Amino acid sequence: MYKRTTEEQQKRVLFLGAGETDFGMQGENDAAIYQALPILKKQGYELFVVEDNPYSLSLESAFAKTIVATLTVQNIKAIIKENAIDSVVPAFAGVRGIRLWQQVLSEWREEDGDKPKTLGMPESTVSLMADQTALYDRLIDAGLSMPEATIVKSQDEANQILRDLELPLLVRAHNPAQATTRRIVKRLDDFEEVVGRVLEQSLTKEAVISKAINGLKEVSLLVLRDSFGNCLQVGASEDMDPIGIHTSDSLSVAPVLTISDQVLQKMRTQAFLVANILKVQGPVHVQLAFDEKTGDMYVIKVSPYLNQLTNRMALLTGYPVMLVSAQLAMGKRIDEVVLPDSYHEKTAMLEPVMDHIVVKLPVFSFGDLEAAGVKVNRQLSSIQKSVGSALGFGRTFIEAMEKAIRAAHFNNRSFSPKYMKNITDDELIQQLIHPQDNRVLLLIEALRRGYEVDELAELTKIDEFYFYQLGHLLEIEQKILNARPTSTVLAEAKKSGLSDGLLARFWQTDFQAIRNLAKEAGIIPTYKALEPSAGEFPEKARQFFATFEEENESAPLCDESVLLIGSGAFRMGDGAAAGYMVNVALSELRAMGYKTIIMNNNAADATLLPHLSNKQYLEPLEVSDVMAVVDQEHPRAILVPGNRRKLIAALQNLGQNVIVLPKDKHQPNGPEDGQSEFALNFFYDGKNAYPLVVTEHQNGEIRLIDEDVSDVDLDEFELRSPGMYQLIWRRESGEWSEHVDLPNFAVDTWLRPMPYGQIAFLSKVLGLSLVRLVIRSWQGGLKPEDLEALVAHMPQLKEGEYAMVSDRTDFDLHLKPEGEIDSTRFEMGAKIVRLLKEDD
Amino acid sequence: MERHLILEDGTVFSGQGFGAPATTFGEIIFDTASSGYQETITNPIYDGQMIVFAMPVVGADGIHAEAYESINPKIRGMIVHDLAEVSTNRQRRMNLDRFLQQYNIPGLAQVDTRKLIRHLRETGSQKATIVDVVDEHAKDQLAATVLTNKQVQNTATPKAYANPGRGFHIIVIDFGLKHGILRVLGDYDANVTVLPYTTSVDEVLTLDPDGIILSTGPGNPEDLPESVLTLIRVLQTKVPMLGIGLGHELFALANNSALAALPAEYHGMNHPIQEIISKEIIYARQGRGYVVDPDELDSKKLFVTHRDMIDHSIQGLRHREYPAFSVQFFPDGAPGPEEAKRVFLDFFETVVDYVQKNN
Amino acid sequence: MANKVVLDQPSMQRALTRITYEILEHNKGGQNLILVGVKTRGEYLAHRIADRLEQLEGEKIPVMAIDITDYRDDRLDHDTQLGLNEQERLNIVDQNIVLVDDVLFTGRTTRAALDALIQIGRPKTITLAVLIDRGHRELPIRADFVGKNIPTAQNEKIQVMVDEIDGEDAVVIEH
Repeated sequence: MYKRTTEEQQKRVLFLGAGETDFGMQGENDAAIYQALPILKKQGYELFVVEDNPYSLSLESAFAKTIVATLTVQNIKAIIKENAIDSVVPAFAGVRGIRLWQQVLSEWREEDGDKPKTLGMPESTVSLMADQTALYDRLIDAGLSMPEATIVKSQDEANQILRDLELPLLVRAHNPAQATTRRIVKRLDDFEEVVGRVLEQSLTKEAVISKAINGLKEVSLLVLRDSFGNCLQVGASEDMDPIGIHTSDSLSVAPVLTISDQVLQKMRTQAFLVANILKVQGPVHVQLAFDEKTGDMYVIKVSPYLNQLTNRMALLTGYPVMLVSAQLAMGKRIDEVVLPDSYHEKTAMLEPVMDHIVVKLPVFSFGDLEAAGVKVNRQLSSIQKSVGSALGFGRTFIEAMEKAIRAAHFNNRSFSPKYMKNITDDELIQQLIHPQDNRVLLLIEALRRGYEVDELAELTKIDEFYFYQLGHLLEIEQKILNARPTSTVLAEAKKSGLSDGLLARFWQTDFQAIRNLAKEAGIIPTYKALEPSAGEFPEKARQFFATFEEENESAPLCDESVLLIGSGAFRMGDGAAAGYMVNVALSELRAMGYKTIIMNNNAADATLLPHLSNKQYLEPLEVSDVMAVVDQEHPRAILVPGNRRKLIAALQNLGQNVIVLPKDKHQPNGPEDGQSEFALNFFYDGKNAYPLVVTEHQNGEIRLIDEDVSDVDLDEFELRSPGMYQLIWRRESGEWSEHVDLPNFAVDTWLRPMPYGQIAFLSKVLGLSLVRLVIRSWQGGLKPEDLEALVAHMPQLKEGEYAMVSDRTDFDLHLKPEGEIDSTRFEMGAKIVRLLKEDD
Repeated sequence: MERHLILEDGTVFSGQGFGAPATTFGEIIFDTASSGYQETITNPIYDGQMIVFAMPVVGADGIHAEAYESINPKIRGMIVHDLAEVSTNRQRRMNLDRFLQQYNIPGLAQVDTRKLIRHLRETGSQKATIVDVVDEHAKDQLAATVLTNKQVQNTATPKAYANPGRGFHIIVIDFGLKHGILRVLGDYDANVTVLPYTTSVDEVLTLDPDGIILSTGPGNPEDLPESVLTLIRVLQTKVPMLGIGLGHELFALANNSALAALPAEYHGMNHPIQEIISKEIIYARQGRGYVVDPDELDSKKLFVTHRDMIDHSIQGLRHREYPAFSVQFFPDGAPGPEEAKRVFLDFFETVVDYVQKNN
Repeated sequence: MANKVVLDQPSMQRALTRITYEILEHNKGGQNLILVGVKTRGEYLAHRIADRLEQLEGEKIPVMAIDITDYRDDRLDHDTQLGLNEQERLNIVDQNIVLVDDVLFTGRTTRAALDALIQIGRPKTITLAVLIDRGHRELPIRADFVGKNIPTAQNEKIQVMVDEIDGEDAVVIEH
């Protein structure tokens, strides 16, 4: 290609942060930014990150200037001016980043100075993404098929459309204020209400109505495009459930198994076309619907930014999507991208291929909410209800699925053949047609009751392949139930992804007996490397998953390793905060010279970023999975988040050196309305307790109180392990306190480990990484400078200018609860807000 | 039933047999593509070979009428990790297991294919056999087996046939043609005549072609008679020509260049291929055991147009004096990316030029 | 007025690639070759063809630009000034010249360019490469290398856009 006139290299680059955790926003964007910063810094860019999410890791990155500020147009403009930013990367912050940047661009005035360059896509694409109609027209003009859509401004106009088109119809907000507002209307009675509601959700009070394409297969493709128009496909995954259920709520499989090469290649061509139309320099996620009967294909959504799929594809292919995307955004051609030494030198250009299967399973919070007395609508629809997802890695679909189920649930009670026996046949049919969160178990139950595959495929529009697979699983289950524990059955069960604990339950014995049987029979996991060439090239792979075959590719790291157990899939409550904790712990352990090994299965979680640890095991987190890795690696210690009590106890029983990151099993309830909850926050290093600060908590908001507590004597409290703790007391009050009278701590307060979210928040506002201190005190105590830092935070408090507000997730939209959901206990996310002083 | 794969170097892999219970011999290679198993096993270039699939689950999409690359599969064995059982209902008339039974081809499932591929990556393509019992007899048999070098004779058409259309008259010289090429020519509404590779120059020219395609095919091109090279040498001076796969290798041989055998063959579709002139990158299905030796390229006659960016192999050639060019990769996809089809667009534009200038 | 893209960026790249191959084939290599681009867009196209030739042959092919706005036979006031200054002038005697223009229409531009060239010296051969041939010739002129034939109506306007000036590569018909 002809050399274009070389543009001056952009030097001062601002990454917009993605903001608080929410449905569909589970930390993956923050993980992406965090991963991209070091490589760009090395290439000479001056980097800046702005973010208001207290659990953000990028805000603690050493490779960028980090700015804690609420993500508003005004703040972004001020930051650009103050830091002489010359270019901005919006796509790493996902859909929110694109929207925010679009607002900044449209509100940019001459007096604001030179407008920074948009990196990763042209400005015109940023505005196109805000104008669904124009986007639709562009894609249609290019010859792509999309479900016909019309924009309406009123109920009357909507009713006219209804006369032209038949139900079901898809109704969504035009220029929505939130991310997820697609609704499928099947009954005439619902139409008016849905349209009214959707009009409300639109910033411009407009709704888009289109023909629903329920029942078709849904496929997601992730492609990358460089500034010269070269495209490559990172991967594709198919949803088991047909269109009609939000893709995040469906079981999905990669690579695509049930669609022919011819169709897949057409999809690839269409995805490349979309990338070229949008002139993206980076990733595009294209969702397509495929009608097997007619061969028709529709583009149903285009996302030219980083999102859950980007991180997931990176994890399940081993292709460094984020490192490549960051460099493509800077204008590099795909063959100019530079990767760290741990990759094969050509990895960026090689389209990844998978020689393993990955199943993604959504994680729902219904059970926990119901346990807390809140009844919710469990029916799945086009609006996301899952609060996280778990991945299962295997060499067969069944193995991957079983591991995903185990990863999603921690416990194995739901595997019991009797678990679904109480459901009536009517309910079964009802739920086959209107899926709920127990989808997979329900399908298995239907097979168990003798429904035919053809019949089920017709009812559910799920590909027959899956029913044959589930049927195979049922056979294995029967075999296990009908047999005594023998090595043959055990081998087959383990190959299918079942855990020792589950088999122990089936055979009414204990975990250790199964483990011994397996060891005697030589049924031990073989770890396969996860790398993007499917075995074609030797790669220095550091990611592994277990299966049961002949060759084990994982060699023990060293004899001074530490194994960390990730926080898993669940993202409601403090899942995101726990992810943050494990990440900082990983980073600190590495800084201390340990070789670290992480086990986890959540793609949104930064813990699995390749550069954070020396080795990663993509596995469920049951005792048998952890012990198998222990047998392989012989780590010096195992670090476990405190809420995994059963795991901690089991590992201790097996004589393992377990370090606990203290935490209560559940996120505590917040104070009642009209009540203030005070906490004296302190740090315990194993010998001494160091009081830090008093916080006040009202109705989902936490503020610091200007109160010197450095002299408080905490010697009388007996603590088991180093960590962050709180002494709690409550008072009736409607006002925020300026000062607080300290209570008699021994009598009037109760003690608890500090919730992870508050540790993250305090670390940011105190400028003191509390998790690092916990890790340091576990390993040989604090250094003098740490002790100084603990005291030196005090003067900063005088300002006390930040508060942490639990995020106002629209639970009503997503979960349709009958009753209030305590947003402290069941928070999806939180954000840091800056409190403006009265005299400001 | 438990069956076994024995490699020439003595290594044994065990698994569950499927397809036909036959004992076969062939050259074993591995394929890293994650889709298109049906197209791959019916591609005539794999005549006499056994294929190991890196894709862990194979067969989930059944067997379809529109995905055949030849009528009869010519592979000698299929080695997979997990065979997906699917029904044979109306949408999917045939499944993989039954398909292989029908053509007497053995399959071996539940093999640690990743271990096998990593082994083949180091030891190279070699002879192999699928057997019921591993014993000295089986090993001796394997050692004594001489694999055929008559693959082109086995797969190419012995008789001329037409695939009529209303557009340009394209002659395909068949060395083991895959259907994908005819499918794309159909997209251009070309009037196609497929000729055996033994056809004479006069016979070809009498048909008054607007363009000539040298087809894909199996085996070592050096096993073909010299007359084929003569045919190419003459025809390239007369009519626009496109060589594909084996056709590309023959095009190089006909122009005084030499080939090199690859230690481990490459079969997949994930390597970037760069067009040197524009630096444009595409991905395409490749299946090759031989490449044009860059040190033995007659640069007075030919120049390189495309290269594989991973192993730097020559992927495209062009004649310096005639409108004749060739690609090592498969521009028809089937299976494989569609962006490679632009090679046919280039070919047809060359044909248009040729026709305009000669009218 | 509606615009229709008839050649997008990738197709335009491919057309230039094909022209390059044909030039090489016709000229039996890159020897004694000079590319002469007709200003403004022809010059950029000539540079792109030269870059492509360099990728293949490893040598830089000389490129010269020629401005014939004052040189058209349909202008009454044409003076005898050449469309290029002394420094830009290459020795074209006995060289193989490829004249590069964006659109071939009536042929009058080409004719003017030929006049200008012959005034500088006597090349061995002159061939013509155009990205678009839109028909409606008024002179007996034919392109040797054509990127794309696009039949048009007399009153339509064809615009070739190049990244260097227009910020994107495309060929557009304005109705």
